[in-house]
This record gives sequence, structure tokens and C-alpha cells, in this order.
Amino acid sequence: MLMVVMVVCARFGSREISLAEAFSAWRSGQVNIDYQILVRARMPRILLAGLVGAALACSGVVLQAVLRNPLADPYILGVSSGAGLGVMIASIFGLTWTATGISIMSLPAFAGAIGTVWLVWVVGYFTSRGRMTNLLLAGVVVNAFFSAIIMFLTSTATAHQLRTTVYWLMGTIAPQSYATLAVTAGFIFAGIAVLVVYASRLNVLTFGDAEAADMGIDAGRVRAVILAVAALITAVAVSISGLIGFVGLIIPHGMRLIVGPDHRRLLPLSAIAGATLLIIADTIARSSFGAEELPVGVITAIAGGPFFLVLLARYSRKVGWA
Amino acid sequence: MDVIISVKDLQFAYDGQPPVLHNLDFEVSKGEFVGIVGPNGAGKSTLMNILCGQLKPTAGQALFESSAIDTYSKRSLAQKMAVVRQAANPIFDFSVEEIVMMGRTPYSGPFGISGSIDFAAANKAMELTDTAGFAGRSLAELSQGERQRVYIARALAQDTEVLLLDEPTSFLDWKHQVGIYDMLKRLQTQQQKTIIAISHELNLTGQYCDKVLLLGSDDYYAFGKCAEQLTAENISRVFDVEVAAALWDGVSIFFPRGKGA
Repeated sequence: MLMVVMVVCARFGSREISLAEAFSAWRSGQVNIDYQILVRARMPRILLAGLVGAALACSGVVLQAVLRNPLADPYILGVSSGAGLGVMIASIFGLTWTATGISIMSLPAFAGAIGTVWLVWVVGYFTSRGRMTNLLLAGVVVNAFFSAIIMFLTSTATAHQLRTTVYWLMGTIAPQSYATLAVTAGFIFAGIAVLVVYASRLNVLTFGDAEAADMGIDAGRVRAVILAVAALITAVAVSISGLIGFVGLIIPHGMRLIVGPDHRRLLPLSAIAGATLLIIADTIARSSFGAEELPVGVITAIAGGPFFLVLLARYSRKVGWA
Repeated sequence: MDVIISVKDLQFAYDGQPPVLHNLDFEVSKGEFVGIVGPNGAGKSTLMNILCGQLKPTAGQALFESSAIDTYSKRSLAQKMAVVRQAANPIFDFSVEEIVMMGRTPYSGPFGISGSIDFAAANKAMELTDTAGFAGRSLAELSQGERQRVYIARALAQDTEVLLLDEPTSFLDWKHQVGIYDMLKRLQTQQQKTIIAISHELNLTGQYCDKVLLLGSDDYYAFGKCAEQLTAENISRVFDVEVAAALWDGVSIFFPRGKGA
């Protein structure tokens, strides 16, 4: 499925290319323009969209499980904007993401993301005395606060930086070098692998800390590991693609309907589905308006906003608000 | 009979609050069915959380097979004692079989892959609790009584000597209350489980349990055989209400007596 989508999406773009042409160039060793576009622009971008989609989807899956809140998502909880703020502050102090790529920009992003996770957890936990209902509210407030700071920083940026920054914030999959891709892939695959190892413990944790302890699980330690890994893969994704929302919400819910809530199946399949979704969304973003590109975050938000409202209506009874 | 759990001079207080449990002493032998009764706030659930290692005694000792319970690792304790709590509805729609399989967590390897021993234990647990018929269904589709049986099945899948239950019959009608207690009795006599069950049902406790712990909200408690300790006098003392008792088919039954009319 993912493979088919990758191949099909490679064909579309602001310029039509023929895969057969590109493939024959690869076979004969004679470089033609279709081959150039495919290898230099399309493939890295498709791979990157896939990686980012997988990271955000898995992050959404585990945040929902650990926080026992079906409406959690790295974007809604402010984890993404926390990471984004980290990147912006770092870039103001002279680091630029285009030049340094992932190795440096991921650090402030990770600091921002994990700080946000911690903040949201603490506020949500202590204001609702161990029940998880306030968590979402805490996330929304933190998200709004960080977004305001990001907007402040954006408005003080110089005109030249402005367009890049704004586009980055809206979530843009920019073509990256294969070296950057490799490092990104390493982090995200390693992160998802750790989450899969914790999958069965995660299943038990969704029933509550006390029940997890009854099964011999140290709930606090498992939660700390999982939140840290979720923050890490979110940060890696945000540091190269900006704020892309709702992938971490749509995919986990869709996949739970199809494969059930067992995280041993849910996590790997959500990774694949997240990759597929973002590749498709990014293809729409770069090809539907001719030479002018849309930020992919706009596409996911337009699709995800109404989806969130439907979920909110469905779960607000179950979670026990109202 | 071998003592499996012993509580010696146990005290417990939550941080900065007056003590909940005062100098409690009792012993549970292997294969016994013990009921814990008492008014709200007497510390029944607190005691259970001490017995399953989630709270540490403020003073005194709680021992499992003569070692302090808080010296066991969570994992090894989960192989010895299983807990059935007053469960909230899970957030995600796990199937009955998936939930029962979670009882195998204390035995799982680093990757959480289930083996044939795990499936065998889960299947046996579902047979014993008569839940195998809806193994593939989601918990949300089941009645309260069926759900309670699923959680008991999960505890059985843990393959432990001891079962701790916190109000296993709350929210159940009479038929299902009796059904749960009949099942617990079978687990005691046929599977040699040691069972400790908190309950508000004095008359069920009297009919099914070998021993009873009456826990008062002050420092009063009574522990011993139901026939000796579950008396109108003790119940009245613990619950602070007038109690009427009657003997029916050799079993004492109790009623609270109101003051009105």
C-alpha cells in the first residue's frame, strides 16, 4: 500500500514526469531531466513526508494511550509548537535550520517538546487530581501560549526570513539532502522501535496506573520513557517540517477502527498509515495549485479540524466531561 | 495450615492525615476465603493496596510468605497476587480475550510476545469464569456482571496463589452477586486459591467466607471465623447502626434496623 502510494505520488507534481523515462535513465546511466527531478526533488520529499507522517502518527498513538485521553495529539497538546518554539529561539540566536539540518536543530526542538510534555502533564495531572480530563485543556492553553510567542518572534523577523518562517510554521515538507534524510530516518525508526517494544506494557497502562502496577508494571517509569520517545520523534519531525497537525489524531483513530487497540499491531500499522497519509497530503499540497505550493499543514488541518470535532462530541460523554 | 499473608501491628496514615489503620493483626492461611467488611472510609481499600504492595505501611508489617510485601519487585508480586479492582471503563475497546491476555504481563519477555503457555492460561481462566463465549467481543458490549467476570478472568490468567477483590459485586443484581460468589467459592475449593474479598454484602460474606475482618472507622476491628466474629453485636459496633439478626438454615443473616416509623 505504502509502496504503491509512493510510486504513484512520485508521478505528480508541478511538472509531469514519466517514471518510465526516469527508470530508463537509471538503467542506461544517461541522466535525463525526469530522472533528475525524481531523484533530487521528488524522492527525498516523499521519503521525508513518509518519515514525518510515521513519527506524528506514532506519537499520537502513544500520547493517547499514556495520557488516557483519546483526543491527545502532539499538535493539539502543544508538543509540536513547543518544539517549534525551540527551533525558532535557536534560529534567532544564529543557528539556521536550512544550513545545519537535523543534527543541531533537533536539540532545541527536543528540549521544547519534552518541556511541553512535562508542563502539560504536570498541569493536567495536578489540576484534575490524577484524572486526565484537564490534560487536554492544559495542552490547548500551552499551545496557544507558545503559538503567541512564535507569532511574536515571527513578526519581529526580517522580511526575508518571514516567508520561510511562516511557511515552515504552517508545516512544509521541503526537499532535504539524503544525509539529512538518513539521520532523520535513524532517529524516527529507532524511536518507533522503542515504542513497539513497550507496546504490550502500553496496553496495560491504558487501564490506569494501579492496574498496571497489579500486572507488575512500573507505570511511572514506562510513562517517562514513552513520553520522552514521543517528544523525541515529534521534535525530529517538527525540526524539519514545521507544525503539521492532526496526523497524530486521524491515523490512530482510523487504525483502531480497523485493527483494534492492541498497540503491538496498532503502532507499526499507524506508522505505515501515517506515512501514506502525509505522502498523499504533501502530493496534493505541491501539485494541486500549479507552480504555487501549499504548506502541507494546511491540508492536514483542513481535513483534521472537523474530524477532531466529531471525536470531541463522541468522547466527551465517555471521558466524563459535561 | 500454612500462613500465606500475615499482618502484624500494622498502621497506615496518608501524608499529614490521621491514621486510617490502627495496630491491625491478622493472618490468612493458604486456601482460605476471607471477607473484609466495614463502613465507608474504614480503610478497606487502603488495606488492600498495602497487601498488593502499592502502599507501604506507616508502621508495623505486612508479610507475604514471611517476607515484607514491599521487598518484592512489582513483577514478582504480580506473579503471586492478582487484584480485581472496581474497574473504570477502559478508554479503548479491547476485546475480552485481549484483556484476559493482559493478565500474562507479569510473565512476558522484553518484547511482550505471547506464547502457547500464555494462551493456555488465558483460555483456562476464561473457562473457569464462563467468559470464553464472548472472548472476541468488546467490553463495552457486556453487562456489568459479565465485565466483572472478565476482570476476574484476567486475575486468574496471572496464575497467582492469592486473589484480592475490591467489592466484586457492587452494581450487580442478586443473581449476579450470587453468581460471582459461587464462582469465587469454586476457585477456592477447586483451584486452591486464597481469596480476600472486600464487600458491603454482609450476608454473602457470612455465607461464603471462612473468616471475616470487620474494620471499624476508629481503631476497632474484629478478625476470626465468620460464625464467631460476624455477630449482630460486632456489626453494630463497626457500622454504628442497630442490627437485627436471624438464624436461617444454620446461617446467620443480618438486617440494619432503622429508627423511623
